[in-house]
Amino acid sequence: MRAFDYIAPDSTESVVAALAAHSPNARLLGGGTDLIVDLKHTSNTPKVLVDVSQVEDFHGIEMTDRGLRIGSMVTHTEIMKSEIIQKELPAMVDAAHTVGAVQTRNLGTLGGNLVTCVPSMDSGPTLLALDALVTIAGPKGSRQITLEEFFVGPRKTCLEPDEVLVDIIIPKENVGKPTHFLKFGLRKGQALALVNAAASFHVGDGNIFSAPRIALGAVAPVVMRATKAEDFLAGKEITEANMAEAGEIAVTEIKPITDFRASKEYRRELVAVFTRRCLAGAYALHQSRA
Amino acid sequence: MDDKVRVAEQQDLDTLESLREADADLRLPAVVEPVAYPLETLTPVARQQTPAVGQRAPRPDGRLHGLGQTKYIDDMTFPDMIHAKVLRAGIASARIISIDVSEAEAMPGVLATLVGKEIPVNSYGPSIQDQPLLADEFVRHAGDGVAAVAAVSEQIAKDALAKIKVEYEPIEPVFDPLEAIKEDSIKVHPTASNIYASKIVKKGDVEKAFAESAHIFEDQYRTQMVEHVPMEPHASIAMWDANERVSLWSSLGRITLGRADMARVLNMPVNRVRMIATIVGGNFGGKNELTTEPVLALLSKKTGRPVKGVYSREDEFISSTTRHPFIMDYKTGVSAEGKILARKVRLILDGGAYCSWSETTLGKACILSPGPYNIPNVHIEAYVTYTNKTMTGAMRGFGAPQVCFAYESQMDDIARKLGIDPLEIRMMNAFEEFADSPTGQVLESVVVKDSLKIAADRFGWKENG
Amino acid sequence: MTDVTLTVNGKERSASVPPETTLLEMLRSKLNLTGAKLGCDVGDCGACTVLVAGKSVNACLMLAVQANGRDVLTIEGLATAEAFHPLQKTFEELASLQCGFCGPGIILSAKTLLDENPDPTVQEIKDALAGNLCRCTGYTKILEGVVDAARIMNGKQDAA
Repeated sequence: MRAFDYIAPDSTESVVAALAAHSPNARLLGGGTDLIVDLKHTSNTPKVLVDVSQVEDFHGIEMTDRGLRIGSMVTHTEIMKSEIIQKELPAMVDAAHTVGAVQTRNLGTLGGNLVTCVPSMDSGPTLLALDALVTIAGPKGSRQITLEEFFVGPRKTCLEPDEVLVDIIIPKENVGKPTHFLKFGLRKGQALALVNAAASFHVGDGNIFSAPRIALGAVAPVVMRATKAEDFLAGKEITEANMAEAGEIAVTEIKPITDFRASKEYRRELVAVFTRRCLAGAYALHQSRA
Repeated sequence: MDDKVRVAEQQDLDTLESLREADADLRLPAVVEPVAYPLETLTPVARQQTPAVGQRAPRPDGRLHGLGQTKYIDDMTFPDMIHAKVLRAGIASARIISIDVSEAEAMPGVLATLVGKEIPVNSYGPSIQDQPLLADEFVRHAGDGVAAVAAVSEQIAKDALAKIKVEYEPIEPVFDPLEAIKEDSIKVHPTASNIYASKIVKKGDVEKAFAESAHIFEDQYRTQMVEHVPMEPHASIAMWDANERVSLWSSLGRITLGRADMARVLNMPVNRVRMIATIVGGNFGGKNELTTEPVLALLSKKTGRPVKGVYSREDEFISSTTRHPFIMDYKTGVSAEGKILARKVRLILDGGAYCSWSETTLGKACILSPGPYNIPNVHIEAYVTYTNKTMTGAMRGFGAPQVCFAYESQMDDIARKLGIDPLEIRMMNAFEEFADSPTGQVLESVVVKDSLKIAADRFGWKENG
Repeated sequence: MTDVTLTVNGKERSASVPPETTLLEMLRSKLNLTGAKLGCDVGDCGACTVLVAGKSVNACLMLAVQANGRDVLTIEGLATAEAFHPLQKTFEELASLQCGFCGPGIILSAKTLLDENPDPTVQEIKDALAGNLCRCTGYTKILEGVVDAARIMNGKQDAA
């Protein structure tokens, strides 16, 4: 690696100050599983690396008034081991489990996975399906936006060079919402998703889909919601036929590409099946809890 | 034990302790400490007994592997050692107009550069010497090295590569082996044909037997290029001494061949080349020939320093040998009962830019291509052609896995068409004791049928098949 | 230069290194602990696996300074002068390693698994070793080595 300076601030304010002083020549270091690879094998070396992993505000998983708060520097392993997530949102455990391998999950963070913003990120779909919010700190203070607004394009978020992702919040009403995540890679370990998907809904009176959410990864420039399929489901009875129909509708909303991992036709097939299976999985979770 | 000796040991320890303290004060790297681990050795029981069959034979190196004490090339270091990196062409086919290393040489930390023209005999290869160590006139695949840098750190060497200016005149490349074998194709080397080795095996009369066959099966099978991906990338350290001798510690698997090649390309007597083999971190056929060893040797000669060169994973993929992709045409004549009467095979091997171990691969693939079956009439033709791709060479089986994929795929097709159980059709045709191979070799200790039977029983072929 | 102090294999070790030094580089070139290997340089192969604060990490993806003040265990620290770790014993007896290049990483990954889960299923072992590639063995003997080591550690089998 080429030479750079390293600083490790211990508060949000000092991170923001460091960015103000050094951007655009600074880059934020979280777990480093993407950044260090980048620094080794590409030529764009920053002057300063700002290690944000020692900021206390960026850690911790806890229930707050607004919902479940997950610090951006929480590792995938910590998510898998969190009792509250295991109990309330097992789909997040499943999603974290599919990231890389043990070593990558021990270093890699949820925030890092989101800011990298690759279309195949495994943390994205579940969080989108749970209407997650993100807190961003910058020179003008902190702001909160939806995760959907956060994703802008492949490897591009709405973060300004002098801003930093503080935490991810899952709104209170969605903590415990039946959710299911599925990923299809070419291997079980260490594989990028050909398609990943998550679905969530509450079971309304009369066994109907209430607040259905379907989120899909690796089939568009960013992780996306299949809103037409969601609209179709809203208020309808929970049946296998409706789940399958939603899968067919979701296929019409995606913009998959053909690359060396899979063809767009194959990705379409996967989306139809995965949407249906995610909905069925979420329903199964609801029933097992009842 | 003599007391005096113990006193002396005690003093040594004190000295070391004080050294460590001084070291901590100076904030220098800590003094390297020896690692403690159990030293008793495991007695290799099997090696003392006869017969060894049925006995456990612990690997002699197994213990050190588990302790992390095995020393591979990259674990070795010498005083004043420097690091070398090779610039890859990144273009599949071109004439080199000029190579300018002046800017790289001017970089602080860079001690020397090397280009192909500086290599005494810039060609090598296990059978045909068609490969330059560093391309000097023509680039024939994107992974060809064109220049090398030795610097005080790997990073500086890498950065220096970016400062080397190479001017290329692009030449239209040929990638498809079926295109390459055509007479009017673009030639990868200045030869009349891209085909650089071929073999024909004939037995009986295939045309007559085809005419007498109840069924004819004609299919084409293709396999892809495969990289060995050894966990340990290619690595060597070269040390040129004042006595005009060169010592090489290398991950090379065949040091005697390598030594002869070294002497040849460096144009020096073989007794001045010392090759030291170490434990290899995975070979699989990919470390059977020289790669950058002579380049490191010459950089060592230029700088007077030991030079280490370790391939990056990218180097490994684009510039070390790979498994030959095969295009295999199979025509098979079968009797109504399922007996194979005749088989005609044409193999086109994609040899990539250089020969490497293609001749060996071609020969073995050729002989094995009809499969382990009694076939009275056989006609096999095999050709290996140059293309502007990473060269293909030795890899586990030398062509045997590729043809196995073809003939076993076709056996399944034949079984399906004739409505015969896939195991049955193999039992019907498989070699038996003293069978004749396609080349007329009488085979002994043939256990194909027994193996098939045992395997079928073990995984429950009849029940699950 | 940055001062980095680590507790490596139970001993405090310090070095001044440039900030861009990876943990792997510091271990290998400053402390001469060459058991962890550089295999792929992108965090895929696991040959550089070491334990930081008890968790397995790819030392090629971690800066030395990120590990500052923490406990690091490398393969060299797994055996004592008196005894092997059960994994080292079973891996030797079963010839679980061939070329051995992946071994230090695999053994450390397996160690963290057995520390947390003393009686893992084969699927759990595979999952725990997904970040460690081996090109020689086909993994069968490695799985057997881990299963056997678990047995020894649970006292179900004498440490032969």
